[in-house]
Amino acid sequence: MRFALALSALAVTFPAHGADVDFARDVRPIFAKHCVRCHGAKKHEGGLRLDVRRLALVGGDTGPALVPGTAKGELLRRVVSTDDKLKMPPDGDPLTAEQVATLKAWAEQGAKWPDEFAGKEPADDHWAFKPVMRPAVPRGAAHPVDAFVLAILSDKGLKLAPAAERRTLFRRLHLDLTGLPPAPDEVAAFVKDTSASAYEKAVDKLLASPHFGERWGRHWLDLARFAESDGYENDNLRPEAYRYRDWVVRAFNDDVPFDRFTVEQLAGDLLPGATNEQKTATGFHRNTLWNSAASGDKEEFRTYAVKDRVETTGLAWMGLTLGCAKCHSHKYDPVAHREFYRLYAFFNQTDNTEIRLEGKAYIPVLRELKRDTHVHTRGNFLQKGEAVAPGTPVFLPPLKARGASADRLDLARWLVDPAHPLTARVAVNHVWQHLFGEGLVRTPENFGTTGEKPTHPDLLDWLASEFVRLKWSRKALIKFVVMSATYKQSSARTAKLTAADPTNALLGRQNRFRVEAEIVRDLALSTSGLLNPKLGGPSIVPPFPDGLLAQKFTAESLKMPGPEQHRRGIYVHVQRTLQHPTLAVFDAADGNTACAKRDRSTTPLQALTLLNDPVFVECARALGARIAKRGGDTTAARMRYGFEVCLSRAPTARELAILTELVETHEKLGAKPDVVWFGVARTLLNLEEFTTRE
Amino acid sequence: MHPVLEVLQFQSRRAFLSGAVGTAALASLLHADGPKPAAPAAKAKRIVYLFQSGGPSHLDLFDHKPELAKRFAENLPDSVRKGQRLTGMTATQDTFPVAPSKYTFARHGKSGAWVSELMPNVAGVADHLCFVKAMHTEAINHDPAITFCQTGAQLAGRPSFGSWVSYGLGSTNKDLPAFVVLVSQGSGNPTDQPLYDRLWGSGFLPSRFQGVKFRSQGDPVLFLSNPDGVSADDRRKLLDDLAKLNEMRQAATGDPEIGTRTAQYEMAFRMQKSVPELTDLNDEPKSTFKLYGDDAKKPGTFAANCLLARRMIERDVRFVQLYHRGWDQHVNLPKQIEAQCKDTDRASAALVTDLRQRGLLDDTLVVWGGEFGRTVYSQGKLTKDNYGRDHHPRCFTVWLTGGGIKCGASYGETDDYGYNVAKDGVSVHDLNATLLHCLGLDHEKLTYKYQGRHFRLTDVFGSVVKGVLA
Repeated sequence: MRFALALSALAVTFPAHGADVDFARDVRPIFAKHCVRCHGAKKHEGGLRLDVRRLALVGGDTGPALVPGTAKGELLRRVVSTDDKLKMPPDGDPLTAEQVATLKAWAEQGAKWPDEFAGKEPADDHWAFKPVMRPAVPRGAAHPVDAFVLAILSDKGLKLAPAAERRTLFRRLHLDLTGLPPAPDEVAAFVKDTSASAYEKAVDKLLASPHFGERWGRHWLDLARFAESDGYENDNLRPEAYRYRDWVVRAFNDDVPFDRFTVEQLAGDLLPGATNEQKTATGFHRNTLWNSAASGDKEEFRTYAVKDRVETTGLAWMGLTLGCAKCHSHKYDPVAHREFYRLYAFFNQTDNTEIRLEGKAYIPVLRELKRDTHVHTRGNFLQKGEAVAPGTPVFLPPLKARGASADRLDLARWLVDPAHPLTARVAVNHVWQHLFGEGLVRTPENFGTTGEKPTHPDLLDWLASEFVRLKWSRKALIKFVVMSATYKQSSARTAKLTAADPTNALLGRQNRFRVEAEIVRDLALSTSGLLNPKLGGPSIVPPFPDGLLAQKFTAESLKMPGPEQHRRGIYVHVQRTLQHPTLAVFDAADGNTACAKRDRSTTPLQALTLLNDPVFVECARALGARIAKRGGDTTAARMRYGFEVCLSRAPTARELAILTELVETHEKLGAKPDVVWFGVARTLLNLEEFTTRE
Repeated sequence: MHPVLEVLQFQSRRAFLSGAVGTAALASLLHADGPKPAAPAAKAKRIVYLFQSGGPSHLDLFDHKPELAKRFAENLPDSVRKGQRLTGMTATQDTFPVAPSKYTFARHGKSGAWVSELMPNVAGVADHLCFVKAMHTEAINHDPAITFCQTGAQLAGRPSFGSWVSYGLGSTNKDLPAFVVLVSQGSGNPTDQPLYDRLWGSGFLPSRFQGVKFRSQGDPVLFLSNPDGVSADDRRKLLDDLAKLNEMRQAATGDPEIGTRTAQYEMAFRMQKSVPELTDLNDEPKSTFKLYGDDAKKPGTFAANCLLARRMIERDVRFVQLYHRGWDQHVNLPKQIEAQCKDTDRASAALVTDLRQRGLLDDTLVVWGGEFGRTVYSQGKLTKDNYGRDHHPRCFTVWLTGGGIKCGASYGETDDYGYNVAKDGVSVHDLNATLLHCLGLDHEKLTYKYQGRHFRLTDVFGSVVKGVLA
């Protein structure tokens, strides 16, 4: 109250009022002295920055700091507040009455802020928005990957770990490239083959395997938020969605270059003389959710789907989180509210349709149509703001449209233009993440200013440029990386390395981590001999526990005959509102939003699943029988066989002793061989090492 | 570095922790299974959320509008409706005839709370409750509205309330999950919207914070029972062997995650004992069933779930989330709501009484409410004895009790039609902020960094409602 009186008194007498306030002379010094220590380049308390014009005008978490032309806004409210929670500055002396009056007059006069003081946008200096250079390869190693990694390691007095044991490396390679474990005789042959080309031959063979596409296609399906139902309340089935999944798997197996892979998925329908195959690829954006229950709000859910297409495109190709810009201009992220809706315009001119293939199948695809786009004020589709045309964010290279107005095909080609600073970096980072468990950028979903910086910026850039030079061939890129000593390192930790680099950011060893949900299933089915390796086609629905299946999707028609039940995890039907529990418990992507990095949790429910889920019990019985039948005549021989099937290695003496004791205990009680070896098989399938890629 | 610290350092790259939350959450990383103190400012240590799915009619239960009797079948004035969005189900109606509640309301207890005859037992404990009469929400369809209540966002993908709380406060029972979910179907509308597992999902929080759904048929927890032919001794031997074998691998690889894995197998083993003990009601005396009613003997009923909730609270489960379906009464509301209240009234009141008698209500929060209210105008044909009501996001009632809540109180008012908030509106974010406050958590500080942004249960909204606090 006292303050308010003082203000009104001053309003009459203070000379600046009525006269023009000069930002540089009158306002900037106040910000500099009292505000930017907490609201500047280093710290942005409350999400507010007062050192950059655009960000100051956007405001902080609690709302706009300024409303030019008025005395409204958080800034003026807070500098006069006496509430401890609100007042600014929070500590020390408040602004003087003159200072407050200056700010008020400045705001009322339109908060004029000359260009020369506009300040540097966070995006201006951000590494990921600068063009990809091809850094010189440091000396010190024959393989460029190793040279870049060693350059940083040796700065810290560290070096690469020794190569993993050949068996370990062979199993790692199988799990990474196909997701299926090697057979014991393949392991033995590899260990025996000491020729220089043995490893490369193994790599080539795995890259040529049709299971490669299943393994790597699944990674892409996470980004594509692939599912086979609508989501929301009704969650109706999408019986033809698997055709897009199969397109992705084929594209990986055929090594479709990433630029073509991109263009066909985003705009296959707009290519001249588009084939059915290219149209099928547009199923990428048919993976949006759809609320068929919302009879009154169809437009609302259509706009949700368009927004999802913008966000998913941003995440999958550019590693950008655009969601915030739906509702407001984000403080840190460079994509402004309006720019979000320029991207939105590309997908707003898109409609869902079907194409008919041989037979009766109707494949969900996209088609182009005309529809005007307006900014949705505060993200609300009912509040139409300014009209916008399709366009891309200003901090990225300009888009060249083929016609008067840009369309999806222009957008797709813009993404894979080698001048685009994000696409190749993001794609290379995804590949690295799947070969090391962590990306070179550990926030694959966020290459923006709030994401983590690359652990090896030069390596990332070199690989990005190499990827383009390799004509966007993913198989070539993967081969290149797995041929490095960095990839082949042991994943064992040493005390010295752990102390120097606890998160292994410097890559002084490989990483050791649990395999993904689908691979947990594949490992159990494969080692037990139950796996049905059939490729592609409609999904399967493994049995659901009693009472779990609800409502519509209990349809008998979904149930698959016997051998089909034992197909790989990628073929398990993805129902958005009811993930299969066996996959869900191991953190499978749920298909609701694009997922660039899965969680890797360890929970008691996983233990219960591996121990008691009928699928895993069935696998243990089959594995036990397999060991008893094929493992030889002695307990030791059988044990060795079981270890080689499950872990690609022989047991140590102590391991052998522990499990031999288990066998003997059971035998003394008169248990039959199938019971005895079921027990051993259960132990093997539940070992931490079994579900771990070392 | 200590292996656990190493894991911690890695995890904290993703988890942004601050203030009091930080300490508790760090503790939960260090001692994933060990007991932890509640946050210092906590009035409540645990919470039971009795979610009434479908949208209970505030007008027939708690929000007494005596003036409406005079306006029977009058069209709802536009000045009241103010262009409110309609669902697809009533958008084509020509008229919006006012449907006064056919049920008698009376004042109850010292506090004089108005409760209808449909809820005689809840009326009996009214002096222990705080009715929040001017709740409002943003969504008009079930799925987005429930998702909004439970995660703070209408679209799927955010962590649920329970997972936020188990992330923020950790577990206090080493043998049971911190966040348990129980679902029941009421006798009202049998075709209510289904409830999906993602409602108790952990979103982008680590998945160990997600809710564990207890089932009423088969194993209470999925895959809890040993397979046929495997005895408890076999299981123990298996776990001992696994522990030894895993330990050897840990020595060879130096990977601390192996220890976590072994610990989780042990937790699973303990759950095989603790969960059946928890769900076995044979040790309950007759008086329990006198209180909750005989329905509590039937697995899967709301009454049985309320009793299980009390048993979980006794065992210090942090967050017990019930969902009871059947409140979506678009047509034939009287028939449906009468049946629905028979399911819920006695057991809801019994739970309050039971917790209070055991001294547990002092530090346990109880919440009763749904995702929205229902319209004052009838959906479909209106007669004196029969009407239906559509979804109504603009106002509805929830009640609260327990640690930190002002008892025998009523907060907020709606207009004479029970259509708009008239005074002291409480948004879903406000309610969630208030509940977190009672649990000792500052809703602005309970954050998690994901995709470059610090997320909260309350998004960027919500204020603690002081008027409902003791």
